[in-house]
Amino acid sequence: MTYALVIPVFLALALTPATLLVRRPSPAPPRRRALAVLGISFVVLAVLTVVFDNLMIAAGFFDYGAGHITELRIGLVPVEDFAYPLAALLLLPSLWWGLAERGRLTATVRTLVATSRPVSWVNTAYPFAAAYVVTTGRVDLPLVVGTLFFLFPYNLLMYGINDVFDHESDLLNPRKGGVEGALVDPSEHRMILVGSVLVALPFLAYLFLAGGAAAAWVLLVSLFAVVAYSLKGLRFKEVPFLDSATSATHFVSPAVHGLVLAGADWSPGLVALCAGFFLWSMASQAFGAVQDVQADREGGLRSIATVLGARPTVRAAAAFYLAAGVLLLLTPWPGPVASLLVLPYLANLVPFLNITDAGCERANRGWRRFLSLNYVTGFLVTLLLIRAWELTR
Amino acid sequence: MSFVYLGFLLLSLAGMVLLDVRERLFFAQDARRAALVLLVGLVFFLAWDVAGISLGIFLHSRSAWATGWMVAPQIPVEEVVFLVFLCYLTMNLVRLTEKVLARRSAAADAARGEAEAP
Repeated sequence: MTYALVIPVFLALALTPATLLVRRPSPAPPRRRALAVLGISFVVLAVLTVVFDNLMIAAGFFDYGAGHITELRIGLVPVEDFAYPLAALLLLPSLWWGLAERGRLTATVRTLVATSRPVSWVNTAYPFAAAYVVTTGRVDLPLVVGTLFFLFPYNLLMYGINDVFDHESDLLNPRKGGVEGALVDPSEHRMILVGSVLVALPFLAYLFLAGGAAAAWVLLVSLFAVVAYSLKGLRFKEVPFLDSATSATHFVSPAVHGLVLAGADWSPGLVALCAGFFLWSMASQAFGAVQDVQADREGGLRSIATVLGARPTVRAAAAFYLAAGVLLLLTPWPGPVASLLVLPYLANLVPFLNITDAGCERANRGWRRFLSLNYVTGFLVTLLLIRAWELTR
Repeated sequence: MSFVYLGFLLLSLAGMVLLDVRERLFFAQDARRAALVLLVGLVFFLAWDVAGISLGIFLHSRSAWATGWMVAPQIPVEEVVFLVFLCYLTMNLVRLTEKVLARRSAAADAARGEAEAP
């Protein structure tokens, strides 16, 4: 019955051009006629499938492994074979129609890439790849697929859902629309949601199959955090503290997934390392929310900063950074060196320790400094990881 | 080793090209777009094959009618040609049906127009 799990993945993937490229008005025939075309074509292809596949299986070109299919057969042909013509009809004609419109493909790709915030790709891919490589010490397929997943599809899913459900408040916030956020037209919303799920699907299918039960659970928690952060009805980003914790999960869970997938040994030092990373992420998210206090309040949005106020939030962030530094002291050498790396982040908060709600946008300077600080820190963390890796070998 | 299956596939593919050119369906309509559609189709179905093979669902068997040439483990050259043929057939079929239905609906519109004319 394994095949019954593979077919839906590919059928869903086959729907990609229909959902991403064909939009009304389009060069495709009118809806009813398009459905008639596909229906008639399917009947013809199904008849041909029965004839040809009976011949091919009789001639011994291929067969199915025992226990993988339902064993419902028409002649020698298993019903699963009809998935091929069905997929071909879902995929190819809509691709043909979608490509008829000049610039549609480029525009769609550009929208999806912009939505995924390419500047943030490294923030999720790097923790995964680093955790995996330091544990296994080798480059293999799970590493490549996982890294690609946490580069683009993961961020597309996270920011895509976020943009669609944040749309109203984003319009009020002038900061969004550039490097720090993409503004999309509401007519693109359906395309972005469907597109982000379809792009993630093959990667997720592989990662769920490649890892054990523990890795699957981590991935599920990670995906839940991605969805729950901004989805209508859950909106964890509007619940003080839960917003920071969910955001931290976005960045720490790829690392934890990398560790579990690689079969890491969960020593107390490793737990302290992950907890320190988590607190660092919480602090950063909380500080990031400070600059938006006014805009969020006007837009009717809640966050850790709108609830606590700008000043207490900056101080809470400082406390989180400090706790992260202390936790890093508990990690094995050269981990404790990394606790020095929280000092620049603490220093970055100092000018804002007495910030007021009215002047909250002043914190944007600190936020931009935070973004560039990350590149330096990332470089230094890499050096430490290489050293740690050398020491274990 | 035998060229029966490969020959049969190439013959069918040639039939598809003939139909395409005669009715201006696919490559004859827009070669670049058709090439892209065919390529995406081929990659898609090859990925499906690789998934099926790596999970042990598809079993390739040595056949007296095939060349035995393999492009990858478990993937004979005939499979690649077959997938190209399947995609080509699908597109020809869809384009032909689309044309016939469009012609019929245009004819019906024209007939209605004449009936309504004074």
